[in-house]
Amino acid sequence: MSMDIILAQTIVNGLMVGMIYVLMAIGFTMVFGIMRIVNFAHGEFYMVGAFLFAILYGSNEMPFAVSVLLAVGATALLGLVMEWVVFRRFRGNELNGMIASVGVALIIQNSALLMWGASARTVPPVVSGVLSVGGIVFPWSRLVVIIGAIVAVVSLNLLIGYTRIGRAMRAVAQDSEIAQVQGIRVDVIFPAAFVLGVSLAAFAGVLMAPVLSVSPFIGLAPTLKAFVIVVIGGLGSVPGAVVGGLLIGLIESFAGTFVSASLSEILQFLVVIAVVLLRPQGLLGRKEREA
Amino acid sequence: MKSPAIKPLHYAGVLVAVALAALLPWFAPNQFYIHLATVGCINLMLVLGLAIIARAGQLSMGHGGFALVGGYVSALLSMKGWPPLLTLFIAGLAAAVIAAALGWIILRLRGVYFVLVAFAFSQIAVLLALDMSSITGGANGLVGVPPISIFGYVLRAKPQFYPFALGCALTTLALTWLLYRSPLGTMMAATAENQRLTESSGIDTHRVQVIAFTIGSGIAGFAGALSTHYLRFISPDSYTFWESVSYLTMLVVGGRDGVLGPVVGVLVLTPLPELLRSTEGLQHIIYGTVLVLCLMFVPNGLASIVQMWRARQRVTTTSATLVAGEVP
Repeated sequence: MSMDIILAQTIVNGLMVGMIYVLMAIGFTMVFGIMRIVNFAHGEFYMVGAFLFAILYGSNEMPFAVSVLLAVGATALLGLVMEWVVFRRFRGNELNGMIASVGVALIIQNSALLMWGASARTVPPVVSGVLSVGGIVFPWSRLVVIIGAIVAVVSLNLLIGYTRIGRAMRAVAQDSEIAQVQGIRVDVIFPAAFVLGVSLAAFAGVLMAPVLSVSPFIGLAPTLKAFVIVVIGGLGSVPGAVVGGLLIGLIESFAGTFVSASLSEILQFLVVIAVVLLRPQGLLGRKEREA
Repeated sequence: MKSPAIKPLHYAGVLVAVALAALLPWFAPNQFYIHLATVGCINLMLVLGLAIIARAGQLSMGHGGFALVGGYVSALLSMKGWPPLLTLFIAGLAAAVIAAALGWIILRLRGVYFVLVAFAFSQIAVLLALDMSSITGGANGLVGVPPISIFGYVLRAKPQFYPFALGCALTTLALTWLLYRSPLGTMMAATAENQRLTESSGIDTHRVQVIAFTIGSGIAGFAGALSTHYLRFISPDSYTFWESVSYLTMLVVGGRDGVLGPVVGVLVLTPLPELLRSTEGLQHIIYGTVLVLCLMFVPNGLASIVQMWRARQRVTTTSATLVAGEVP
């Protein structure tokens, strides 16, 4: 293989992984921005989404669109139940909410282990073939992930920027008490934001399932990535999550191809430390308001 | 937190508890109980370390990472021929130095960032242990770590190791208790209570939190090393994220205030996995459920139930005397 093919494929891989991280980080940062809960269980919803898709599409051979809808919908429902049973009680209590989310992660991960077993499953590819541009080939299976993720991010941005509920969410994120005084139903916005964040994680899991294999343990790694990205991009900032996610994805892909995978992890950690030292509010984040 | 005057009865209670713990090897039905008690001692040290960090208002999700660093440092040095009794302390020091550097950088930020970066650090520690296989043995870990020897007396068997572990745990407990009553302990509690108010009264809260993080993580490094010399083995799997979670669970279930909480948490949760072993995969689900339920219904931990009960008793006795005094 010539150099530019390797280079192009490394970039495509980096963008693919990066976009998945972007989806994870946006959901994570949204839940934090609105509910003030650091959700350690975020990656478990990614895992559940991927697993449901693997079962529906891979094992039961249901149509693709139906599988996606059912997998994301069922995970969103699980998120709604978790919000209702657990997270609702810890709104605004950052420390206890975070610890509770760890408990939820334990419960979800080990329930999946009990139900579906520890062995990894593979999902048949959704599309096959390659896209050839100027002699460089890109596998469609990876391009689909990138396109799907872009569609999700753009529609989320439209939802947050231009709809009533999106405006209400932004208001609650800024100041939930004032928002409530203005007549925004905070008790609807909280679960809505949580379910939206969880759905993004589940969608990321669905997109990744055909590319990677699926097991009950795949949730922790993307959670860690979401944390790293959120610190780099700025907590609560969606553009920051996009930039941070793509940056981390490309670092991972390039370091993984040309040096070693663990070096990329260390490199990412150093980026985090550098950002914290030089620009504590994150690359695109605003300074935390002094509350 | 108020520290009420110590009554002779408390002294007696503590003495009886310590004596019971020390006499365990004589009345334990078999070695397994001694093993469990040793693990409990090591857990207690780790949870106390976490409690000290929590005392200053922070939460470390990377506690296992520091135990891992300590374990590897002590294992590698002692395998080179250094006396394990010395390397235990070097391990604690190494973890403390890393924590001080990391804490100085990240504790300038608000709480959540600290949690995220400490968590990322523990993952990096695991990855490094996996990757630097020429030094750390990779995924296989280090086998045949030398046992601790005190003046030629080698602590190889379980009944020999247990008193040493108990001694370490009790010393940590006593030092933590003294720390909580010292001016620094007061500053830590004040920082947790209201960081701004504390800062406005002239206390450098950043420094207080860095010191708490350094002490707590140093204890974790020491305890990780102790466990490594006990099991004579360490691998990247020895301290993963889920170990950090279990220490956190012990702290939350037991209670975050005072030194009684960690003791209660360790006593309740160390034997739990063994009791639940027959239920196989369910044990982690039960662990998670206990954690969530505890946060919902006894957010100050099981130790707070005792305090609540005691406070209520005090109220009833005082009102009883009042009534008795009023009646002529």
